[in-house]
Amino acid sequence: MRTLKTQRIRTIIAAVVFVFLAAGLIAGLSVGTLSGFGWDTFSLLCPLGALASMIAAKTMIPRAVVSLVIMLALIFVFGRVFCSWVCPTMLIERVKGFFRSPKRRKELAEAKSTEVKAVSEQELAALKGGHACGACGACKPAPRGKVDSRHAVLGGALLSTAVFGFPVFCLVCPVGLSFATVLVLWQGFAHGDATWGMIIIPAMLVIELFFLRKWCSHFCPLSALMNLVGRFSRTFVPVIDDAKCLETAKGASCSRCAEVCEADINLRHLAFGERTLADCTRCRNCADACPTGAISFPVLSRGAAGSRTTAGVGAGAETPALVLDEEALAE
Amino acid sequence: MEEERTAPADEAAEPSEKRPGQGGISRRGLFIGVGSTVALLGLGALRYAGSVPLNRPPGGQDEEHLAAACVRCQRCYEACPRDVIVPAKIEDGVMGVRTPMLDFNTNNYCDFCAAENGGTPLCATVCPTGALTLPAGCTVGDPATGDPGDVVIGLAELDTHTCLAYRLTGCRACYDACAYDAIELRDADTANPLPYVVADRCNGCGACQAACLSLSSGAIKGSERAIVVRPASR
Repeated sequence: MRTLKTQRIRTIIAAVVFVFLAAGLIAGLSVGTLSGFGWDTFSLLCPLGALASMIAAKTMIPRAVVSLVIMLALIFVFGRVFCSWVCPTMLIERVKGFFRSPKRRKELAEAKSTEVKAVSEQELAALKGGHACGACGACKPAPRGKVDSRHAVLGGALLSTAVFGFPVFCLVCPVGLSFATVLVLWQGFAHGDATWGMIIIPAMLVIELFFLRKWCSHFCPLSALMNLVGRFSRTFVPVIDDAKCLETAKGASCSRCAEVCEADINLRHLAFGERTLADCTRCRNCADACPTGAISFPVLSRGAAGSRTTAGVGAGAETPALVLDEEALAE
Repeated sequence: MEEERTAPADEAAEPSEKRPGQGGISRRGLFIGVGSTVALLGLGALRYAGSVPLNRPPGGQDEEHLAAACVRCQRCYEACPRDVIVPAKIEDGVMGVRTPMLDFNTNNYCDFCAAENGGTPLCATVCPTGALTLPAGCTVGDPATGDPGDVVIGLAELDTHTCLAYRLTGCRACYDACAYDAIELRDADTANPLPYVVADRCNGCGACQAACLSLSSGAIKGSERAIVVRPASR
């Protein structure tokens, strides 16, 4: 089994960013936090924060607009890259994984493996049987909506912001709460300034990330916002080289890419994943895990995007995932 | 939820329906969406749960606008060269939690960055959402000239019950600290001059509160200093 080497790099990067910004918060380095990072008059604001702040204040805030445009452009190019390379939530998830018992870890891995293997075998079988099936992604598009629970949370957050006139989600945002935890504990211990916040702020973080299962893909409105823009992204999207992929080249059930995907995408069988490429975080787990090195992240992927939101409806030969062609299987 | 209806109901019978991600927004998704929206609306409604007025950094005097625009990025907190900006506590109101406030009990005060940035408050300069915006054409207090300026953070209030000077100790720490002549002395030529606040010269910079000795050396029981800046209410 190949190691997920990018995962290690990503974890280190996110940890360095968090420690740097948290230390800056304590030392007064004036670089901001991930909610608003920058120096002097320049700031890159959280896109959701920028949006909520303008809705609440009912005015166009020039700096917020500039920052929003930059952020949306970055999301358009790199998708949800923030989620897997920078977000402190990812670090907490990794810590959670670290403290999971080996037995539990194995159970989870096996459950996921069984699940994606079943999908892969079903689709392979369907395609072998002369394509008159109804069980493969091409013939039976998943009736998956273009929106999911996160988008409802996003809508709720913006609605509440509009109704009550302040950026409500900022109060509970785990990114903000991570930094707030550092700050409130620092003030509590270094300045003897004990407040309820010392308990409430970390407690909210724990509730969100430990009790609201799958925060990132089911709750996070920021993830929803990035999904809305990311679905139009055609850059740095993973592409499978069908000549190398075990499933297409050898007709063997593999689906390692789906097993390791942090965003619940089934890259080989896009129509059967819980999420589509709109949610790709460019974490590179799939490329690292692929036993034959068939997955790459080209700067621009040609037309592969048809599958992005509609999971293969009518995308036909355009979509790599659906080119589980008879030719390759016949070999 | 709109998306619920887009899922064809007749497919429920098919075995493939059990696969994850099938069937549009799931029951759990619906539950999460509705639950979270209700929770966020409830959280928003906490703005009516009451809040304590706070001394805001220069440019944050329009409380409504500050609450609306602040995303709690803590840039002003970091930018403040005198470390008087602190994030508001949850005890001061849920809506304002982690928004910037001035804490003069840190023994420091706001000089509107006269010494550090030539009189342009750094907090308002760095604020990325304009939550801290100085009104156009306004002047800020200048400790060098003694001009209190147009930006009024609050008004100093002196409690004669806890003030050391009113116990005839001759203390005049606040009087000496004020750069705007907003504190004057009654019976100035005696051994025990009594300070009082001249409201229209006070801009709430907090120098008096930062200098007040009543809690630290007065052995007087009290929860706050004898002279404190009360927020300018808008």
